[in-house]
Amino acid sequence: MRAGKVWDLPVRLTHWSFPVLIPAMWLTAENSQWGLHKQLGHVLLFVLTFRIIWGFLGTRTARFASFVRGPMAIISYLRGTSDFNGVGHSPLAALSVIVLLGAMLVQVSLGLFAGDPFDGATGPLNDLVGVMTADRITDIHEIGIYVIGGLVALHLLAIFYYDAIKWSGLVGPMISGRKMNVAPEAEIEPASLLRLITSLAIAAALSLWVWNGAPPL
Amino acid sequence: MNSRISFRILLAPALIASVAACSGTDADPPEEAVVEGEATEAGDVSAVEARQENYEAIGDAFKAIRGQLEGDSPDFALIQTSAEEIGAKMEANRTLFPEGTGVGSGADTEALDVIWEDMGGFTDALDNNIAAATALAEAGGAADLAAVQEGVKNLGATCKACHDKYRLDDD
Repeated sequence: MRAGKVWDLPVRLTHWSFPVLIPAMWLTAENSQWGLHKQLGHVLLFVLTFRIIWGFLGTRTARFASFVRGPMAIISYLRGTSDFNGVGHSPLAALSVIVLLGAMLVQVSLGLFAGDPFDGATGPLNDLVGVMTADRITDIHEIGIYVIGGLVALHLLAIFYYDAIKWSGLVGPMISGRKMNVAPEAEIEPASLLRLITSLAIAAALSLWVWNGAPPL
Repeated sequence: MNSRISFRILLAPALIASVAACSGTDADPPEEAVVEGEATEAGDVSAVEARQENYEAIGDAFKAIRGQLEGDSPDFALIQTSAEEIGAKMEANRTLFPEGTGVGSGADTEALDVIWEDMGGFTDALDNNIAAATALAEAGGAADLAAVQEGVKNLGATCKACHDKYRLDDD
C-alpha cells in the first residue's frame, strides 16, 4: 500500500517553525536582545494567527472541526476503544494542539503589552495599558515561558510514548506529510491556493497592524 | 549563560592578582597595592550587581509614581517617598561605576564604555536625575498635582537622556 497524504504543507511548516521560534524567543530574552525578540515575536504571532485561520480554511486534517473532540472521546481514546482511524490528530493530540497554540498565543499577546518605556524595550501595545498593568503583564510574561516549556516537555513525552513505544507513526508523517497504510478515502484533499493566500494575507495584515502599534488605538 | 562566561573572564585577573599579592614582600607594598587595585577594577562584580539592584529599585519606584498618576486620587506621600528613594539610590550609584566595569570588560552589564571616556558628562546626567527626583519629591510633599505631573515628565526625561547616551541600546 502506498503512503497516503495526511498533512498539508502549511500545517507541517507551521508546526516545525515552533521548535525553531520558541527556543529563539527564550534565548533572545535571556540575552536581552530585545530588538530581535520583538521581531521574532511578530513572526510567531503571524505563524499562530495563520495556523488558527488555517484551522478553518485548511485541508481536512488541519481544520479544528475535524479533530477537536469532547472529553468522552479523549477518555475512550486513552482506553483504546476510540474510533480514531489514525489519520489527523487523535482526540488526545487535539488537546495538545489546542493547549499549545493557546498557551503560545497568550504568551505572545502578553509580550505585546510588556515592558517599561523608561527601562529598555516595550511591546508595540505597551502604551495601551497603564504602567502598573504593564508591569504585572511583564511578570506573567516572564513566567509564561516556563508554562510553555512544561507543556512542550509533556508534548515530547507523549510523542515519544506513541511514536517510539506504540509505533503510531507521528514524527515521520509530520515531516513528509505522508503516512503508510492509509486508505485512499482517508487521505486529505489538495490545499486550496486561494484559501492559503487568504489565510496568509489575514495573518500578515494582523501582525503588521500590531507591529505598528495597532493604529488608531 | 552570559554571566557565567564573564565570571570566568573576571576570575582570571583576580587569581593572577592574588598570586602576585602572595609573592609580594613587605619591601614593595606599593606594587602589591597597584596589582590588587587593578584586580578590583576589572573584577568588581559586586559593584555591577549593587548598581543594578539600585536601578531595579529605581525602576520600581518610578513605576509606582506613574501608577499613582493613573488613578483619580494619587497618594502624594507615596510619590514623595518614592522620588526620595530614587534620588538616594542614584546618589549611591555615583560610586558604583569603578573603571573597568563597562561592557568592554566582559561584565554582565549594559554600561557603555563611553561612561569612563566622558565621566564629566555621565556625572552631569546623574546630577540632573537627582535634581529632578528632588523636585518631584518636593512636589509630592506639597501635594501639587500639576507640579508632580511636570516632575514625572522631567524625571523620565533625565532617565532617558542618560540611557540614550550611556546605556547599551538593545532595542
